[in-house]
Amino acid sequence: MLLVALGSISGVGAELPLPEHPGAVIYKKMCLDCHGAKGEGVAGKYDEPLHGDRTLEALAKRIDRTMPEDEPELLDAAGSAQVAAYIYDAFYSSEAQAKNNPARKDLTRLTVAQYQTSVADVVGRFRPGSDRPPGAERGLKARYNGFMLPQAEPDFVGPPAEAKDEKKDRPKHRFERVDGQVAFQFGADSPDKAVMASDEFRVRWDGGLIAPDTGNYEFVLKTQNGARLFVNNNETPIIDGWVSSGPDVREEKKTIFLLGGRSYTFTLEFFKYREDASSIQLMWKTPHGALEVIPQRYLTPNGGGIHMVVNTTFPADDRSEGYERGAGVSKTWEQSTTDAAIEVAEHVEKNLDRLAGTKAGAGDRLDKLKEFSRKFAETAFRRPLTDEQKQIFVDAQFAKSPTPEVAVKRVVMLSLKSPRFLYPSLSELERPDDFTVASRLALELWDSIPDAGLTRMAAEGKLRDRNSVATVARRMITDPRAKTKLRGFFHHWLELDRASTIAKDAKTFPGFDDRVLADLRESLWMFVDQIVWSEKSDYRELLQADYLWINDALAKFYGKGDAAAPGSEFQKVSFTNGQRTGVVTHPYLMAAFAYNKDTSPIHRGVFLTRNIVGMSLKSPPMAVEFEDSHFDPTLTMREKITAMTKDNACMACHSVINPLGFSLENYDAIGRWRTQEKNKPVDPAGHFANEQGQTIQLNGARDIASYAANSESGHRTFVRHLFHHTVKQPVAAYGADTLETLRTKFTKEGCNIQKLLAEIAVIGAMDEVPPPAPPAPKPAPAPAPVPAPAPAAAAAPVPAPQSTPPPAPIATPPAPAPVSPPNNATPAKS
Amino acid sequence: MKALNRRQFLRDLGVSAATLPFIAGLPSLTGAPMPQRRQRVVIMFSPNGTLPADFWPDKEGADFEFKSILKPLEPYKDRTLILNGVYNKIRGDGDQHMRGMSCLLTASELMPGNIQGGSDKPAGWAGSVSIDQEIKNFLQGRAETKTRFGSLEFGVAVPNRADPWTRMSYAGANQPIAPIDDPYQMFAKLYGKMKDKDSLISVLDDVSADLKKISSKLSARDKALLDQHMMLVRNLEQELQNPAADAALQHPMPELDPGIELVNDNTPEISRMQIDLLVNALSNDMTRVATLQYMRSVGQAQMRWLGVEDGHHSLSHDPDDNKESYEKLKKINTWFCGELAYLAKRLSETPEAGGEGSMLDNTLIVWTNELGKGNSHTLDNIPCVIVGGAPGIKMGRHLKLDKVAHNRLWMTLAHAMGHQDLKTFGKAELCEGGALNLA
Repeated sequence: MLLVALGSISGVGAELPLPEHPGAVIYKKMCLDCHGAKGEGVAGKYDEPLHGDRTLEALAKRIDRTMPEDEPELLDAAGSAQVAAYIYDAFYSSEAQAKNNPARKDLTRLTVAQYQTSVADVVGRFRPGSDRPPGAERGLKARYNGFMLPQAEPDFVGPPAEAKDEKKDRPKHRFERVDGQVAFQFGADSPDKAVMASDEFRVRWDGGLIAPDTGNYEFVLKTQNGARLFVNNNETPIIDGWVSSGPDVREEKKTIFLLGGRSYTFTLEFFKYREDASSIQLMWKTPHGALEVIPQRYLTPNGGGIHMVVNTTFPADDRSEGYERGAGVSKTWEQSTTDAAIEVAEHVEKNLDRLAGTKAGAGDRLDKLKEFSRKFAETAFRRPLTDEQKQIFVDAQFAKSPTPEVAVKRVVMLSLKSPRFLYPSLSELERPDDFTVASRLALELWDSIPDAGLTRMAAEGKLRDRNSVATVARRMITDPRAKTKLRGFFHHWLELDRASTIAKDAKTFPGFDDRVLADLRESLWMFVDQIVWSEKSDYRELLQADYLWINDALAKFYGKGDAAAPGSEFQKVSFTNGQRTGVVTHPYLMAAFAYNKDTSPIHRGVFLTRNIVGMSLKSPPMAVEFEDSHFDPTLTMREKITAMTKDNACMACHSVINPLGFSLENYDAIGRWRTQEKNKPVDPAGHFANEQGQTIQLNGARDIASYAANSESGHRTFVRHLFHHTVKQPVAAYGADTLETLRTKFTKEGCNIQKLLAEIAVIGAMDEVPPPAPPAPKPAPAPAPVPAPAPAAAAAPVPAPQSTPPPAPIATPPAPAPVSPPNNATPAKS
Repeated sequence: MKALNRRQFLRDLGVSAATLPFIAGLPSLTGAPMPQRRQRVVIMFSPNGTLPADFWPDKEGADFEFKSILKPLEPYKDRTLILNGVYNKIRGDGDQHMRGMSCLLTASELMPGNIQGGSDKPAGWAGSVSIDQEIKNFLQGRAETKTRFGSLEFGVAVPNRADPWTRMSYAGANQPIAPIDDPYQMFAKLYGKMKDKDSLISVLDDVSADLKKISSKLSARDKALLDQHMMLVRNLEQELQNPAADAALQHPMPELDPGIELVNDNTPEISRMQIDLLVNALSNDMTRVATLQYMRSVGQAQMRWLGVEDGHHSLSHDPDDNKESYEKLKKINTWFCGELAYLAKRLSETPEAGGEGSMLDNTLIVWTNELGKGNSHTLDNIPCVIVGGAPGIKMGRHLKLDKVAHNRLWMTLAHAMGHQDLKTFGKAELCEGGALNLA
């Protein structure tokens, strides 16, 4: 109806043609050939659409200066202003774009990260406590077990004592402590050489292992004695080196895939018998790291959980919109979801009785298996099953499968292959309900499914009004899964993918190896985490802080002369000389946005323009590779880039890119401070026109950081990036004003990142949720109990893990106890 | 214990005697070249020694009679070679059990280590490659004998721990190879993910139905994505129903009985499933070398299916005059021989692809043990029975040898498999005299 009405109005308009916009006349004459009738671009001429963020004034200036291409003198300032006014309203501005192509929410599937996390948590629902945060203490619980050294014989010579070589007669010596890491050279001694004998002892280290990122972890165990390592399970060692064989130190390796942000159950058993010497070292190589002894900060004395980690590889997600989202399906993806469903089904089969809370031979086992199956499907679908669904997804499977175990496997596969799991926004409802809200919150903040507490609130109808949803969102942000999600955001915003390929010229930068790079990465994460999870959670500090986290290895490159003591751990080192300003000059990013010997002002400038300052850039009109050898070797990098981009066509964008990039010329290709290049002083000065057309003067990195930290466009681009990473739908689809509302609030509230994240999650979660029904006139029902989660105080959430709500009571036995004591090396008598 | 349906398992293997003549020998139909003669070797292990008086026949030569333990081999008497007088002469670190097991197929000393046995010095893993892997490496090095796996290591009721009592195959020094004692895992290794095929087809059917239902309620734009999804699901379903890979197998992929738990009491079923899989893998020429390891050295299997409640190893320590234990041990060892006979039977019923006779004619099954005798722990005169056939080995005999080192027997085996260049194996000093003459 509405469409028909609109059509007839425009029909009327067509009968009474308005005089043509003077800008349109010029556009048709001078611009249309290359840019197309609606600014959509023309293949082979200028195929980028004319969309942008410049203000009308800035756009007019720009046209006056650069257009028509190569003959800008054909169009004067007045004409440029007319063209600008026309295209601004017709298609250039974001308002015009929103009018012409209203943004909408696409149906999307789970992203790879969402799939992996969701599956882990669906299975984890049947292992209560597996998502418990690891606590603040670090290190491993160590239990040392051996024999006392023989006591000095008394002088008295009496009748010969009976042989005391039987083990049971030997006095034992035991002690416990927390070990920061496992790297011991006991040599010919025992771990407690004053008291403990060295011929036979064993050590058991227990606790949790925190995986910082999702990916492959290589574990390397070095010992000449017996040792075995259990990670993420208590039954089968991932490395079994129990048998020592020969005198040499053996190195056993095993790579396993882990999901980031989780704490995994961990046990290392060590056994020394009559070998001449003993030592043990446990190292790892994280997805982006270098081989190192596992640092204390990733080990916890409190046991971690067992998590279902899907090993199946998935095709990468679509990133064409600038953020990862689950757009499109392919044969490879279909195959991956199938393989993964089988993988999970096999895991469930293997652990079925424990997960279902039953045991072989139990009279009610069948009922328990059916109950498990129903819960599994409901957890995967993020809402209760209707009777009809229960029939299809559970009962029918039990009816047609040869055994109940096969039925459970089928339910698992069916649930995980179902569009109800794979497309979380699919809905057969007219309007979103409480379960929709719970599902959205979990996806936004955790990339996962709702936990038991959230599901319970949905079932109780407590996710209808904005305030309670906001409270829940704040609670959810303290969960490790939210930290993982935000880590993903920083990975994306700071373009850390690029950093994984850093390789520097060994002659130019001796000693700058993988180890240093891994430390730099760690340094960046410490910096980001420490700011984001502080109470202030201030975005401006991210850009402007004057300190770096530095250990001894990094101090050699980035120290201030008073290099940290050798072997020192990471510590916060301030650079009051103005040499450092937050992530903008962090050496890891400086190294990433650089060539192997030289800086790259263009890469740095593009990054700053798009991600920090917040201006859009078109693709380069032609591909120009920077070839260092084409230039006079005595030129500075600034001189080379200036020469290379001097064309008008280039300067359309490089008038912004270059000054931003040049402002970082004080940082060499590995991010060290410098004041000289090619024996000439470094010149970081420059200026650029922002989207309002104002000229911004720069004299180095701090000016850029300060501009972005305090400008609306800097704030806006941060908000936009975070929104897209969180919600995975275009922000404009949530209302034309949403971005600006969020931005205003962010600016007003001290640029608090955690608050912004919660705010974004609420907007995404409450989209199209009908307002709560007005209170019924009838006598009010008994007040609902206070919401289960203990919400953080109304103030900003505190970084320390807050009390998450207790897991819902589920009829499942507690997490499995640690394995029975290790196999004794002594067999039955033979 | 769950309901078992071994008959169905056998049927699904598709290699029952009735169907075989039609399935075997297919290569000629497809125009593929006739395969060369395939010589195979299977080494079967059982633990804790034997009862010599009820194992070794009295008479030498072709005119021998089986004692009670070997009676199950009666139908294959003319293809059986009993080797009396093979000694495991490996000494050094480790107790008799450890050396009986981990030096059995390597015929060299153990590495020094931290594993303390019931006597002697502690020891580690074997110090060199085992004979099955030696032969595998040889066969895999030549195009005409190369197979997909080269070797397969089957286990039955092998406990889940890795030490010198549980491993007999070694890829080299300090490189033990774990046998696969889970038929489902072995199946997955042989036939990939196809084992959940039925479930998957059924599930995809339901997914399609659900997709259709939801899809009808969506906007056109959202529907497009789901329709694409539905097409992918259908394609997958079709691929599953018409697997191209199956056509390449001479013997159809078996379907496993679901739900047999890997517990002690299911050992007889697991044993037969493993043997069926082994025969299937051999008949499809996925490998020509295999080991079949029952339990482990010092194994404590409780063979309740034979009415024996006691652990096997404990029983083996009882003196010969303990009649009750003796009878139980006889039952146990006879049961192992019965499994050997079943393997021989399955091979004898399977015609050799594109050739004459049955697969048994070209397979050497070697049944051996860690000890000569349980209660003495001797490594002298270890049980050694060969069933099957190979050129240059005369079967149908009980042969008495003069305390020959088992190194020489493994050399003979290698030579029979075409690996004639093997001049010594394991500890070289024990190889004097070279391969045994079994012609």
